[in-house]
Amino acid sequence: MRLLVVEDNEQLAQLLTKGLRAAGHETDVLTTAGDARSALMTTRYAALILDLGLPDEDGLSILREIRHRNDPLPVLVLTARGGVHDRVSGLRSGADDYLVKPFAFEELLARLEALMRRPGQLLGSSLHVANLTFDTESRQAYVDDKPQVLSARETAVLELLMRRSGHVVSKKLVEDHIFGLSGEVASNAVEVYVHRLRKQLAERGAKVEIHTVRGVGYLISKSK
Amino acid sequence: MRFKSIFAWIIFLHVIAVVIVSVFMPLALYWLLSRQTDALHDRAMRGQADAIAHHLVLQADGRWTLDLPTSLKDLYSEAYGRYVYSIVDERGDVLFSSLNESEPIFPSDPRSRSLAVLETRRGDDMISGVSVPKESDGRTVWIQVAENLAHRDVIIDDIVADFFKSVGWITLPILLLLLASDIVIFRGALRPLLRASEQAREISPTRTDVRLPVDAIPNEIRPLVMAVNQALDRLEAGFRVQREFTADAAHELRTPLAILRTRLDTLADRRVTDELRQDIEGMGRVVGQLLDIAELDTLVIDPSEKADLHGVCAEVAAFIGPLALAKGRDIALEGAQGPIWIRGNPDMLHRAIRNLAENAIHHTAEGTTVELVVEPDGTVSVRDRGPGVHDNERELLFRRFWRRDRRRAGSAGLGLSIVQRIADVHGASITVENRAGGGASFSLRFVRLG
Repeated sequence: MRLLVVEDNEQLAQLLTKGLRAAGHETDVLTTAGDARSALMTTRYAALILDLGLPDEDGLSILREIRHRNDPLPVLVLTARGGVHDRVSGLRSGADDYLVKPFAFEELLARLEALMRRPGQLLGSSLHVANLTFDTESRQAYVDDKPQVLSARETAVLELLMRRSGHVVSKKLVEDHIFGLSGEVASNAVEVYVHRLRKQLAERGAKVEIHTVRGVGYLISKSK
Repeated sequence: MRFKSIFAWIIFLHVIAVVIVSVFMPLALYWLLSRQTDALHDRAMRGQADAIAHHLVLQADGRWTLDLPTSLKDLYSEAYGRYVYSIVDERGDVLFSSLNESEPIFPSDPRSRSLAVLETRRGDDMISGVSVPKESDGRTVWIQVAENLAHRDVIIDDIVADFFKSVGWITLPILLLLLASDIVIFRGALRPLLRASEQAREISPTRTDVRLPVDAIPNEIRPLVMAVNQALDRLEAGFRVQREFTADAAHELRTPLAILRTRLDTLADRRVTDELRQDIEGMGRVVGQLLDIAELDTLVIDPSEKADLHGVCAEVAAFIGPLALAKGRDIALEGAQGPIWIRGNPDMLHRAIRNLAENAIHHTAEGTTVELVVEPDGTVSVRDRGPGVHDNERELLFRRFWRRDRRRAGSAGLGLSIVQRIADVHGASITVENRAGGGASFSLRFVRLG
């Protein structure tokens, strides 16, 4: 499926298209809110990259219309305005994520793909970190393409961390994810599972590290 | 003497007026009262002289006879002692007298020849009366009637004598009552001004829409209030222009940077681009910080906003975490485990703490951990294991564009001034300390809610 970039600056729009195509995403570019509106009516896109400063109207109004239709289209907002109120109003209007210009293209790509991997969104179902792969459909982990057997809870922790690789996943989120809302959980339960997972991955030769950010959560990245 | 308060000034002048009036009004009243009693006395004396004249008759043989009825005789009796009369002829000889004397009551006074109010002393007593002429067949006699003031009418006498004690004092309470009522009146008149002042206190860069109420303001002060409102209009316009400028500048500065950055990112040759990418990152950061400062200069937090300090610090730690790990440093969140609610804007707090944390990651030694410590009292400390802060730098640290090492690229020395500004807006205090064992600790102390 295609991506739609709505950006009034032609140079930036072209560069984004070039980069996204190089990363394997077919991309349409439009420069006005009016054009974007009609395109969204006729074509189903995998995700929308929306600049807020459009010449004809504020990009936020398009965003509000999309959400008003209960369209789950992932929207990544690009903004030159880094202000407090701009960010808050952007996210409240239903943006899934936002980036303040100037941004690293890799960051844009990573965030976009993360949005498209969310449940209900369509993008290749495998997640990669170094030589570790996780298939979100079969819920199977691979090291160097060799399937690995992990316990259900270890698998759940790994999937969560890999969906957000490069980002810190809060301990609370991991806790909710593996235990659901099922009452009392021992305070060190998450640590225990993370510790086990870390050990398992090391033993199987995965070139990844699970870092603990003390007091906050966990982060998976390729080992140095 | 100058008073800052109109109210105090009016009261001060009023008190002076009350003092002056409370002295002079009784004196004036006393004078009027005395004059009135004197007039009454004069009229009474003249009436008595006329009564005596009625009984004074010039006989055919040229002699004067006086045949007073008993009632009149009693009035002038020595036993009663209050009134006296004497009748004097042209030569000054006494023809008749209630006194057993040949001297007239008013002997040497030349005015005794004409109608007048006279006074003289008899022994220890003061005598006051009139001398009234009576003519008959070309001959004139003077009827002198006087009252001994020592035996004067008791009532009138007392009224005059006790005037200050029994009547005059009332002026002071009356004037004080007037003063009190004036205070009430002035207060009432000034109340719209006080209300306007209260409203004026709410005006801040976030509430530039507030205007002072003009309707209830007295006409005399209305021009001032209207001038203030007009000044506020201009101020609001100024703030709006600055906000618009900030937004425009953000767009105009960031978009070219984004183009440049994306152009580099989509180039194949990584070796060439890495340094350039760092340059753009540094430039992007400086532009972002300048825009932050421009925005913060026109921003004040809404008093009703609240933020969870622990939550904000967890976000910052999560945000900084990947960056820290990539640089071989670590970050940790310590202290309070649950939410710590403080008055403030979460996004601005995020920026302040993130600036401190980024600084700390930058300065801390490789392999060490930057600690974010949230205290239950609403304090957050960011601690590193870097070179610490020299005493002579403390004052400079928070200044805009100050840098320890001016050669370092990608830093404009704005981060801490942003922290300072956000702390100011939140009424928070900043302290900087060196840690035992090396490193610096920056603490922000916020106002805890509840």
